[in-house]
Amino acid sequence: MVEAIKVEDLNYSYSDGTKALEDIGLTIYEGEKVVVVGPNGAGKTTFFLHLNGTIKNPQGDVRVFGKRISDMKIEDRIHQVGVVFQDPDDQLFMPTVFDDVAFGPINMGLDEEEVEKRVNKALSKVGLEGFEKKVSHNLSYGQKKRVALAAVLSMEPKVLVLDEPTANLDPKSRADFISLISDLNERDGITTIIAMHDVNALPTLADRVYVLNKRIVAEGSPRDIFSDWSLLKDNSLEAPDVFKLFKVLNCFGYSSDDLPLSFDEAVEVLTRTIEGTEGHIHLHIHEHTHKEISHVMDSYNHHRNGKK
Amino acid sequence: MEYPEIDAYSSMDSPIHRFDPRAKIVSFTFLIFSLVFVNDIRVAFSGLVFSFFILLVSRLPPGFALKRIRMVFFFLFPLLLVMPLTVEGREIANISGISVTLDGLIFASLIIMRALAAVTLALTMLATTRFDMTMKTLYALKIPGTLVQMLMFTYRYIFVITDEFSRMWESMECKGFSLKANYHGLSIFGNMLGMIIIKSYDRTRRVYESMVSKGYSGRPRTLVHLKMSAKDYVLSTCMVGIAIFVHAYQFI
Repeated sequence: MVEAIKVEDLNYSYSDGTKALEDIGLTIYEGEKVVVVGPNGAGKTTFFLHLNGTIKNPQGDVRVFGKRISDMKIEDRIHQVGVVFQDPDDQLFMPTVFDDVAFGPINMGLDEEEVEKRVNKALSKVGLEGFEKKVSHNLSYGQKKRVALAAVLSMEPKVLVLDEPTANLDPKSRADFISLISDLNERDGITTIIAMHDVNALPTLADRVYVLNKRIVAEGSPRDIFSDWSLLKDNSLEAPDVFKLFKVLNCFGYSSDDLPLSFDEAVEVLTRTIEGTEGHIHLHIHEHTHKEISHVMDSYNHHRNGKK
Repeated sequence: MEYPEIDAYSSMDSPIHRFDPRAKIVSFTFLIFSLVFVNDIRVAFSGLVFSFFILLVSRLPPGFALKRIRMVFFFLFPLLLVMPLTVEGREIANISGISVTLDGLIFASLIIMRALAAVTLALTMLATTRFDMTMKTLYALKIPGTLVQMLMFTYRYIFVITDEFSRMWESMECKGFSLKANYHGLSIFGNMLGMIIIKSYDRTRRVYESMVSKGYSGRPRTLVHLKMSAKDYVLSTCMVGIAIFVHAYQFI
């Protein structure tokens, strides 16, 4: 497998000396979809700024497709890794949507015809054809998010880094955005690296999860990570609601090899289980059941009641 | 909160709207400079009338234009009160030993007329062109990039900062605050302005990071397609001709 991103011994401190990143090391392969989770202030955004060289001269080794990021030309860097930040108002700084989406391609030195082609293609991918002449401050938040994504897609990056893509979106915009990112990974083969707190959306967007809390605390499949409740507790994280519900069902005697992480997966697992048990699911309650449920609740509701 | 959108009526249709942006900026700027250097009050008055004529031709809603021109007038109005008392010349009245001079009155009127003519022309020029096009035209006219970027970011982020201010104000009102001209009220208002500045500073860093991540290296480039037609040449020649005439007529 081709290594898209390889980071070794990466450290970063803010100007006041506070450590933001400590000995970060990770490898992300081409075509993978990886989610980075961690509490607020864990250094996710700072880490992302290293991936396309926005933070110059990193203290550590950051390689993109085998090349050191600090040795790459600007045009190469932005072509390899595109970063979509959290607040779209920070990214839409030009007078019109066209100018914002064209900003990257123009800096890459492409000719006018190619720039226009890329702008049209990127806007069509995010479903905003015809928005070229609109001014950013007149767009809705969801539209601004999509323009911000288009402004990165127009550089046709091989690796797409998104910081909290679903934050503050209404349910429809959120679902559209998740499916758009999924398509970019599955259909266009773009490697996606996403920072998010939205654990219910995470399973769709992650093959692998890294837990970052100034250092890499854990790495594994979403199921591995969400099964480790003490890891979640220590890093102020939580598991998807569906996963927690099936943990409770386990206490009632429901048996499944893989606990589902999303609503769609839950429907699939339930259907399979019911079909495999002649149309019934057998749930029961014993003396120890309450104790087990209470244990699951305590483990996964560690945010509540000020418990830590 | 109302946004200060200068180009809200740029999609209208009029000869001024159709005027090529490059020719428009050059000829209007020429005319503005010419009118602000006029020394004769009759010529200044004709210049003011001409600038209102241009405003009329542009078909901009009178309310939109007059609201902005009025603000400038209020700013200049004190000159009419101060200058007759401070400029020496022919006395037209004497109030308790303080002389009111005709020359002072004429001088104040001259300044006000020149300023109003310039503002009316600048407003017409900016309001009849989409702001992004004005910025692109400035690039095309080789105006220093730093200056254009400052203008561009000011215009882009004034809306974001207005929203931020509005949200903070609503939040303060929800907690029972109402602005009064006392120490407490002004101190809270001062803190709020300070917070806006800090937030803007933080945003500047994030915007810059976002620009760098898209390959910005200090010189943003844009695509601009402009083509001058015969009408544009005729119109700009007329305007530049008038600009020259207001100074050259006395030598003819």
